[in-house]
Amino acid sequence: MAYAYLFKYIIIGDTGVGKSCLLLQFTDKRFQPVHDLTIGVEFGARMITIDGKQIKLQIWDTAGQEAFRSITRSYYRGAAGALLVYDITRRDTFNHLTTWLEDARQHSNSNMVIMLIGNKSDLESRREVKKEEGEAFAREHGLVFMETFKRECLILTMRRMALRSVLSTRRQEALAPAVRVLAVQRAGAAVRCCAAHTERAKRG
Amino acid sequence: MDFFKSGLKTVLGASEPGQLPSGAETVERLVDRVNNSTLLEDRRDACRALKAMSRKYRVEVGAQGIDTLKQVLELDRADNETINYALDTLNNIMSPSQFEEEEDNPHVPMNIGEQFTEMFIKDPHNIQLVLDLLDEYDFRVRLSTVQLLTSLLTNRTKDIQEIILVKPMGVSKMMDLLGDTREVIRNETLLLLIKLTKGNANIQKIVAFENAFDRLFEIVSSEGYSDGGIIVEDCLLLMLNLLKNNSSNINFFKEGSYIQKTLPMFNTPSDSDDAGWSPQKVSNVHCMLQIIRTLVSPSNSAQIISSCQKIMKNVGLLDALCNILMTSGVPADILTETINTVGEVVRGDVANQDFMGNIMAPSNPPRPAIVVLLMSMVNEKQPFSLRCAVLYCFQCYLYHNELSQASLVQTLLPSSTDVSTLTSGQLLCGGLFSTDVLSNWFSAVALMHALIDNPGQKEQLLRVLLATNVGSTPVSLLHQCTLLLQQTTKLQSKVALLMLLSQWMSYCGAAVSAFLQVPGGVGYLVNQTCSNEHDDNEYLLQGLSAFLLAICIHFNDDSVESYTKDSLKQLLVKRIGVETFTAKLSEVSKHELYNKAAKHPQLRVKIPPEILIDYEFCRLFKVLESVLIQSVSIHQENHSSEDQQPPPEDNLEQYKTLIRQQDARLQELMQQLDGLMQQNNALQAALNDSIASNSLLKDENTLLKAQASAKLPSHHSSQSDQSSQATPGQNSQSSQATANTDQRLSDSENRVQALTLEVNRLTSELRSALDSKQQAEVELDRTKKAQEDMRKDQDDLLELLADQDMKINEYKMKLISMGQSVAEDTPAENELNLT
Repeated sequence: MAYAYLFKYIIIGDTGVGKSCLLLQFTDKRFQPVHDLTIGVEFGARMITIDGKQIKLQIWDTAGQEAFRSITRSYYRGAAGALLVYDITRRDTFNHLTTWLEDARQHSNSNMVIMLIGNKSDLESRREVKKEEGEAFAREHGLVFMETFKRECLILTMRRMALRSVLSTRRQEALAPAVRVLAVQRAGAAVRCCAAHTERAKRG
Repeated sequence: MDFFKSGLKTVLGASEPGQLPSGAETVERLVDRVNNSTLLEDRRDACRALKAMSRKYRVEVGAQGIDTLKQVLELDRADNETINYALDTLNNIMSPSQFEEEEDNPHVPMNIGEQFTEMFIKDPHNIQLVLDLLDEYDFRVRLSTVQLLTSLLTNRTKDIQEIILVKPMGVSKMMDLLGDTREVIRNETLLLLIKLTKGNANIQKIVAFENAFDRLFEIVSSEGYSDGGIIVEDCLLLMLNLLKNNSSNINFFKEGSYIQKTLPMFNTPSDSDDAGWSPQKVSNVHCMLQIIRTLVSPSNSAQIISSCQKIMKNVGLLDALCNILMTSGVPADILTETINTVGEVVRGDVANQDFMGNIMAPSNPPRPAIVVLLMSMVNEKQPFSLRCAVLYCFQCYLYHNELSQASLVQTLLPSSTDVSTLTSGQLLCGGLFSTDVLSNWFSAVALMHALIDNPGQKEQLLRVLLATNVGSTPVSLLHQCTLLLQQTTKLQSKVALLMLLSQWMSYCGAAVSAFLQVPGGVGYLVNQTCSNEHDDNEYLLQGLSAFLLAICIHFNDDSVESYTKDSLKQLLVKRIGVETFTAKLSEVSKHELYNKAAKHPQLRVKIPPEILIDYEFCRLFKVLESVLIQSVSIHQENHSSEDQQPPPEDNLEQYKTLIRQQDARLQELMQQLDGLMQQNNALQAALNDSIASNSLLKDENTLLKAQASAKLPSHHSSQSDQSSQATPGQNSQSSQATANTDQRLSDSENRVQALTLEVNRLTSELRSALDSKQQAEVELDRTKKAQEDMRKDQDDLLELLADQDMKINEYKMKLISMGQSVAEDTPAENELNLT
């Protein structure tokens, strides 16, 4: 199977918010772990098509339990994106988002795309976290936000995320040669301009 | 040593001649110097001297210097040379191997390196110190750090793995070193990673996540695949570590299309190639085969195995492996391992088994590959491990495949006798009755695997006839096996035949009766079971005989008169006794080789005498053991309680009572049914009566109505007449009744009309509701379509934006390169907010 891009994403968030379930839904049940509590990390993969191009997504589902937190940290650096998941029926999982975000920002490389997902939005009657709160948190920290419980929503989310990764990759690819040329031609000016652009690329 | 001495001199100054200080004293002074010198040069020289001494005086340097050296790592990070000396010294102290210099020193304990390692890692911060040094680009420092970590991991694998695991960048940093352009560092890193990943699933997953497979395959391909040097082997060993017992990584390997990348490893050297099979190439291919086997190992989950097997077939890996089998000049151990691998790649997958069955060997005349393999299995001159591998491969070929089992038995049947070609069946029969014990064993077990879970073939095999001597009447295969069992004196042959017969006769009444008809068969089993030899192997034989005897009882269909179920049971109770029988049976599972065989489908033996029990037989034994004991002992209870009449077999008895009960119940129900039928008839008659009377009454009623209407006008006219008193009273009565009836009739008519109206109204309401629902659906479809369109539009816009973004960037670059200043306002950010 040929693909134009390959991205690695990780799923993070408190234990029991439905991370493994998201992975299962997304990978179309092609891969089904037997256990119900994730130990360490589990792996899933899926192809999606954007603009006629095949994009392979490798998704690593991490264990939410505190005991595995240090192991999870090893996965941030190599990931192009992270799905930060909380459970809208459990306030504490929302409260812990800040810790997760700090962890992710500290250990990842800076152009990692982070997407906030409020899971289990089908359980409206037991909702503890309002949709507006999730939106506010996302705005404050510059994340993309989505509430989901259905497969379709999730796939849409992943498409958005993959699109961002594609854009960010293209931007870097587009920048790289130009910067190199500049560096040769005008060393002094290039440093400033290069810095500015990397800064921009990082923000994207 | 000159260097060492001159080093000492520079550090310590010239000592007085004739009064050389002892090693411990020197070390003490050196450590002091490192601790207290303010000049970097002094500390560096002292470190160099310590390094020089650390091989001969490892205990002294370790005991006094370990803390000091740690300090150096922390404080002198700026000076690569000093750091390098400190690292080398630490590495010497904690080295897992013994140095030449200390060989004649009796004071050095064997595990001295391990003890110092334990001291060093008491503070996990020390590991962090070493890990931080990996960031140093200097060649010497980086190399020494990698070597030190390797030594540490060798000494205390578990502890250090745990420490490194919780350092967020620990594993990643080591993985980065694989990309180091200096090959020495890359190669040392490989060794380090092999130690690091041993037996720790979490680290294995992180290493895989850090693109290990990609990088390893890159190295393997740049080194020339299987023709590469020991580096290829190291890469493959690391891969093997990552995959062993790690289903998550196996899944990743499969999903990441890495199976395809193994293909070039199996290019066989052509005959003209002089290099041929170098020892290194043998090791490399061997490692690669191990990796393939790890993916399809029977201990993995069935889902993983079958998907890996399908991929291996589709990408042509199975083909490549079979090619190796058919190529001449392949070294024996590679051939053996390839046979094992092919076995596991086809095991339980019908398509792959078919593929294997259809391969033809390039021999003259061409023969199926299976036949060629079996020829080596029954050939005494072939290496033992190769023959075992062929058996395993053949077992895998038959595993869960009724077709391949049937086609094997088919080659034995009289209908298909084609004398000119050699068939697998003939080879197995030849092996079964050859003088070579191992051939007997291999053939019996191979034949046994054709019968597993396949009642059809058990009966087919009964039809097989053998011509033992020219002119004599042919005897059946079962008959011949039974005779051979009685004649042979070799343990392995006996065990093999007992296993074959057990598998054959279990769940097959026809085979049991065929066995019972063989003269001496039962007697032999009884004698064997009763025999009283004391020896592990004798116990095993007694147990197996007891097992087969019990099978004869349990699966007996009473078709042989002299040995019916009951008579055999009585024989067993009287001659052997149930207690003894149970004890003998339990001996089988106590045998050492039984337990060894039960662990894994593949035979894992090193020397011929260890061959005795087969994995599938263990499975059969486990399933049947309790059933047989129950069947024999329950019979005994029945026997004692109902001594007079011959007790029917327990199961049958149960069924009989059940049938009797059901019969009684059936009778009862039939009676009930009859009663109900009668009742029904009576009711029907009553109903008919009442209908008749009803119509009678109706007629009367009409009559009366007619009468009443006829009488009413006359009544009017005669109202003025003074007729008798009785008549008007009668008339008024009847007219009143008529009026009442009329009234009720019109009432109900009204009601019916009202109801009809109501129904009409409701129907129309329903219709309108349906209409509106349809409308809503149409509306919904439209909205969905619109939403879909909008989503597409959005994606297109995003694409467009990306392109625009790139263009803008390009233009900006151009502007910048032309020296124009550019506003810092970035369209990229706006775009992000849009998404």
